[in-house]
Amino acid sequence: MSTTNTEIALTFDGVTRFYGPVIGLGDVTLRFGPGVTGLLGTNGAGKSTLLKLASGRLRPTQGCVRIGDFDATSLAAKRLLGYCPEINKFYEEMTGREFVRTMTRLYGYSWSETRQRTEAALDRVGMLDRADRALGGYSHGMRQRIKLAQAVAHEPRVLLLDEPLTGIDPAGRREVNQLIRDLADEGRTVVVSSHLLVELEQSADHLVMLQRGRVQAEGTLAELRRRLDDQPLTIRIESPQARRLAAICVAGPEVAQVDVRGDAVTIRTTDAPQFFVALNELIAAHSQETEPLVVERMETLDAGAEAVFDYLQRGAT
Amino acid sequence: MTYLRAGTTLVFTTFRRLVWSVGTLMLLFPLAACTLFVARRGYPQISDPLVAFNSLSNFLLYIYASFMPPLAALAFGAQSLGGDREDRTLVFLLIRPVPRWVILAAKFAAAWPLAICVSCGGLALLCRLAGPPGSIAFAAYLPAIFYMTTAYTAVFLAFSVLFRHAVIAALVYSLFMEVLLGNVPGIIKKLAVNYYGRSLMFDAGVDHGLVAPDPQWFEPLSGFAARGTLLGITLAVLVGAWLVFRLREYEDSA
Repeated sequence: MSTTNTEIALTFDGVTRFYGPVIGLGDVTLRFGPGVTGLLGTNGAGKSTLLKLASGRLRPTQGCVRIGDFDATSLAAKRLLGYCPEINKFYEEMTGREFVRTMTRLYGYSWSETRQRTEAALDRVGMLDRADRALGGYSHGMRQRIKLAQAVAHEPRVLLLDEPLTGIDPAGRREVNQLIRDLADEGRTVVVSSHLLVELEQSADHLVMLQRGRVQAEGTLAELRRRLDDQPLTIRIESPQARRLAAICVAGPEVAQVDVRGDAVTIRTTDAPQFFVALNELIAAHSQETEPLVVERMETLDAGAEAVFDYLQRGAT
Repeated sequence: MTYLRAGTTLVFTTFRRLVWSVGTLMLLFPLAACTLFVARRGYPQISDPLVAFNSLSNFLLYIYASFMPPLAALAFGAQSLGGDREDRTLVFLLIRPVPRWVILAAKFAAAWPLAICVSCGGLALLCRLAGPPGSIAFAAYLPAIFYMTTAYTAVFLAFSVLFRHAVIAALVYSLFMEVLLGNVPGIIKKLAVNYYGRSLMFDAGVDHGLVAPDPQWFEPLSGFAARGTLLGITLAVLVGAWLVFRLREYEDSA
């Protein structure tokens, strides 16, 4: 999210949206600026509602959604917006090129400009040489790229990508993530929704986590991880002296549980920062012994992005 | 200029999609059935021109006018926007800076000539096969088929604004309102578009010797009133569809 007001491209001000008696989004205030913002949440968390409000397809029950200075439902706002929907439906009888050209032409460009923008967009998503096949015969990854092409052809200031990595193979994901990064590096505001944080770790500068229609947390991944410091953490340590290490660690006041299996010790700590300090001191203290403590590998089992998300979700329930 | 470019693109795209659709193929069956019937009936061989004209008129009034204009309008009018809703591709239009009225007008502009082409073209084909009585019938009934098809196209386009599965809704409407209620004695038939179309046909046919129906069963309006009503239905329904479409949120659009 942005630091100055002039950079803010997409604004949610106290936005609430009801579907009959059911709340889709509750009192959401957010500012989206240049860079990639990951929108996270499980099914029904409110991601789609937020994107529909941002793209002007739904009106808020309360509050307002603005793109730049314009109401999100206005035509002026739609000129600034590129949207890549989650659905995997197209005009199947068209070729990829025809589809992107048709969608680009709807912005009112002349034929020559439409053609030029279409080719540039196809080139950008790596579909230039495969765009003359009928959409019905495309793989899932190719269809995602065409969806991206139609969203970026008019060089929008704000780009909303609804689950753009779904169904794409790992190599394709890297490419799409790179494309998302490139678009953000050009100064665009890119909002990417996903229900898997791991998909966004590579590209997102900021994260907004939604749960039951409300913003559960927002910030950089590092900021969100810091919130874990006060939370229990599970650490797996591989060592040839696993039993000895376990026996030493279990005495620590910050250690809640120790489990030894083969050459690995799994430790549950209630104060992660303190545990790491204590572990370093232990290793240093035992380094002069005839058989010093050796730590071959250490990993935090639930400190990854998914764990942050899981933790925050647990907090919401 | 921007909207004109967007609108013409949408008309062209929709037109092309409708032409190469299952609906077009499906229309060929009733049209082929009508053609076979007229060809086998042998109207040119009927010696009394009045009998031939009345016989052909009855077929056109009760069979062709009851089915082909609504079917053509259903295949193209309901599908023009309804196809986008059913396929969930409407989102690609709604997120673009194209006013809703342009989208609706473009959908109508794409569907209407196709529906007219099928229903009026079908009439031309049948009348050509029918020989001399057909020539009279074509000149007499063409305006009625034209206005009916136009009104049906508008009605079914409005259905696609209102209902996600517009074709099913339009079929149900056609069956109950147009076929059943449109043929029952009494005032209720005035709710059906068909009534005004047939009134127009009777009005035109009587001048050429068409035997007027029993007023207890069917009391036609004057041609002027019927034409005015069909045009009024078309305009009112299109305006109503626009009023709904401009504000409606299509949550199902993706």
